[in-house]
Amino acid sequence: MSFQSPVAITGIGALCAVGSNLNECMESLYAGRRKVAAPGAFSSSHGTAWPVCEMAALLPGEQEQDAEPDLLRTSRLGLAAAREALSDAGLQAADLSRLRVGVIMGTTVGSAMNNEAFYRQYRQGEHPEMAPIERYLRSNPAAAIARAFALSGPCQTVVNACSSGTDAIGLGASWIRAGLCDLVLAGGADELCRVTYNGFSSLMITDAGPCRPFDVRRRGLNLGEGAAVLVLESESLHRDWSRNERGWVLGYGSACDAYHLTAPRPDGLGLKKAIAEALSGSGRKVEDLAFVNAHGTGTPDNDRVESRVLSELMPGVPFLSTKGFTGHTLGAAGALEAAFTLACLEQARIPASIGFGCADPELPAAPVTEVTEIEGGCALSESLAFGGNNAVLILGAKRGIGCV
Amino acid sequence: MRIAIEGLGLVGGFGFGADALRNALKGNLPSPGTLRFPYGDDSIEAPAFMADTAPLDQFVTKRSLRRIDHFSRMALLGAYGALDDAGRLDSDPARLAVVVGSGYGASATTFAFLDSFIQDGDSCSSPTHFSNSVHNAAAAHISISLKATGPSLSVSQFEMSVPSALLCALQMLRENRADRVLLGGVDEACAVLGYCRQRFFGAPQGPFDPLDFGRQSAVAGEGAAFLLLSREGQGEARYGYLNDVQMGRIDQGGLRLPEKSALVLGADGHQGCGRLYQSLPIQGRAHVCHAQAYGSLPVGPAFDLAAAALSLKDDRLYPGTESLGDRSLCCLKLAEDGNFGLVSLSG
Repeated sequence: MSFQSPVAITGIGALCAVGSNLNECMESLYAGRRKVAAPGAFSSSHGTAWPVCEMAALLPGEQEQDAEPDLLRTSRLGLAAAREALSDAGLQAADLSRLRVGVIMGTTVGSAMNNEAFYRQYRQGEHPEMAPIERYLRSNPAAAIARAFALSGPCQTVVNACSSGTDAIGLGASWIRAGLCDLVLAGGADELCRVTYNGFSSLMITDAGPCRPFDVRRRGLNLGEGAAVLVLESESLHRDWSRNERGWVLGYGSACDAYHLTAPRPDGLGLKKAIAEALSGSGRKVEDLAFVNAHGTGTPDNDRVESRVLSELMPGVPFLSTKGFTGHTLGAAGALEAAFTLACLEQARIPASIGFGCADPELPAAPVTEVTEIEGGCALSESLAFGGNNAVLILGAKRGIGCV
Repeated sequence: MRIAIEGLGLVGGFGFGADALRNALKGNLPSPGTLRFPYGDDSIEAPAFMADTAPLDQFVTKRSLRRIDHFSRMALLGAYGALDDAGRLDSDPARLAVVVGSGYGASATTFAFLDSFIQDGDSCSSPTHFSNSVHNAAAAHISISLKATGPSLSVSQFEMSVPSALLCALQMLRENRADRVLLGGVDEACAVLGYCRQRFFGAPQGPFDPLDFGRQSAVAGEGAAFLLLSREGQGEARYGYLNDVQMGRIDQGGLRLPEKSALVLGADGHQGCGRLYQSLPIQGRAHVCHAQAYGSLPVGPAFDLAAAALSLKDDRLYPGTESLGDRSLCCLKLAEDGNFGLVSLSG
C-alpha cells in the first residue's frame, strides 16, 4: 500500500436518534443519553418487540407538508446530513457549481428494492401502482444528493453492508488524491425498515433491551437510523480557499475475511489486515492513536473478535463503541462514527461506552466506562460487516492539535 | 497507469465464456428464453435472455452451492471464468480484490425473504434468504470461495453501477492496494422485475434493435461479466488495456468523446435512453451496440467492456470484420437521468 496523503475534511453533518445535528449528537454522547424503544414507525408480530434507536418521523428541515415525500427516508436522511455538512463548510450552491464535486454514500436499505406494501399487492394478484418503485428508483442515496445540489462529478452508492459508510469515506478520499474531484461529499445513510428488522431478528442477533457492547451480558444489537456526511477537499482547493478544516482523512484500509457470510472470522485476520493497511497508508503508528472508535455492535461474535484484535494490536489504546447511543445504523454507521471520532478529537475527550458495565472475562480488552480525556491528534474508526468486510479509517484532528 | 485485462468470465443468454460471447458478437445471436410472471389475474411470458450456471460445476462442488442463490452463482461463475481464462486460478488470494456492481442486487432472494414472513409471520423470516439478499452477498461468496482477502467492494448505481465500480477498481490497482482485481457486474431477471418492466414499458415494440434509438424494443437479460485486471507489466494484457473511466452529467458539459475512437454504445433498446444516444455527435464515427447478445440489464456496461476487450484481442470491431487499425475503443453508457459513464480501452 502506498502512502496516502492527508485529505482535508472541511464540513461535517450527522444525525441519528440522539441528535438532529452533530452538536446535538455529541451533547447526548457526553451526557450519556440514549433513546432506545420499541419501533414506532412500524409494527411486527414478533413475540418480543426488539427495541430500536429511532428518529422522529419528520427529519430536520422537513414540514408536515412533506409527509408524502418523493424520496425514500434513507435519501432524506442523507440529504439532511449533506446540507449540514455543506453549511458547516460554509459552502453555497454557487461555490459547488464551479467545481467537480463527487458524491459517495454507503447504504443498505437505501439500495434495496423491497417495498412490502407493493409486494403484498403483487403477491395477491393485484395490479400494484408503480409509485413505490418510482420512488425507489429516484432514491439512490448518492444520486439523490448529486441531483439535489446539481453536482457533476462521479457518483457512487457503496453497498458493503455495515462497513459501507467507512468505505465510502475512504474511497472518497482516494478520489480526491487521484484528482478525480475537487471536492467529495462522502458518508452514509440508512433508515429503520421493517424488512431489515425482520432480517436481523431472524439471525437472532438483536438484544431485547438496550444493547451492551463488550459487556458480559450482551445479547445483540439494536437497529438504528441516521446519516453522516463529510466534505472532503482537494489539497489545491483547501489551499486556495484557506478555510479551517475540521480534520483529516489520514488513512484507509479494507480487507475481506473470506470466511463466512454473516460471522466474523474468529482470528480477525481481515480486520488486522485492514488496520495494517490504514496505519501504513497514514504513516502513523499505534502509539500515535489517541483512541479507537470500535464497531462494537453488542453481538457476542463481533465484540469477541474485535476485543481480541484491539488487545493484540493496540494494547492500552482507549476504545469505545457509540452504537449504544445510535443503535446499529448499518450503512450509515461508519460515517456517523467517523463524524463522532472527529468531534472527539476536537474536544480531546471521548464519551463513556454506554451499555458497558460488566467486563466479560472472555474478552481481553474493555471499553472506557466514563468520559475520558485523550491525548494525540489521530484516532482509528473501524467497521466490520456482513460478507466479512472490514474497513478502517485513520482520522486526524485539525491543525493545531498536533496531527498534520 | 494503464490496467491490463488478463481474463474474461462471462455468463448470460449467449452461454458461458469468452468464446460464447464472441460467437454472439459475430452475429450468431442467441434466441431469448422466457420470463413468466403474474400480471393481475393473468400471467405473461416475456422474452428474456436467461443465464444457465450449470458450468459452475467445473469450479466448485455442488455441496458448496447449497445455500447460494442464482444471483450469486452467476457472479461466482463469472469470477471463476475470468480467473480460469487468464490461467490465474492459483492467484495469490491475499492480494486479490473483488469489486462487484449490480443495479438491483439479489432481487429474487429479496422477494423470497419477504415471502418468508408474509406467508408465515414475522417470526418465520428466513435468515438464509435475508443474508443472501444483502447487496454484497455475491462479492462475499466470491471472496469466500476463492479465499480472497483483499478489499471487497460492492456498488449499486443502477445503469452506472459498472462504470462506478470500475472507477474504484482502477484506483485499487493504481494505489497498489491489490495485485489483481476481479471486476464484475451481475444482475438477474426475476418475476417481480418482469412485472415492473411490463408496467413501465409494455411489451417490446418489434424486434430487439438497440440502434433503433426511437423505438422501445428492449428485451430483458441477466448474467454476469467479470474482468481480471492487473497493473500494466504485472500480467499479460491478453485483451488489451483499460485506460480511463469518466463519469458525470451530459448536461453539464462533461462528456467529451476522444478523437479516433470507435464507440461501443450501451444503448439497450430503451427509448428513454435512446434519445440521448441519438443526440450524440457520432455521425461518421464507427459505433456499434452489443445488447442483442446479452439483453437489457443494468450491468450491460460490463458486457460491453468484455465485448470491447474481445474486439481489441481479435483486432476486429464486432459485429463487422473491419480492423481497428490505430483506433482505440470507448464504451459509453448513458442513463435516462442524464448521467454518463465513458471507459476508454486500447490494445
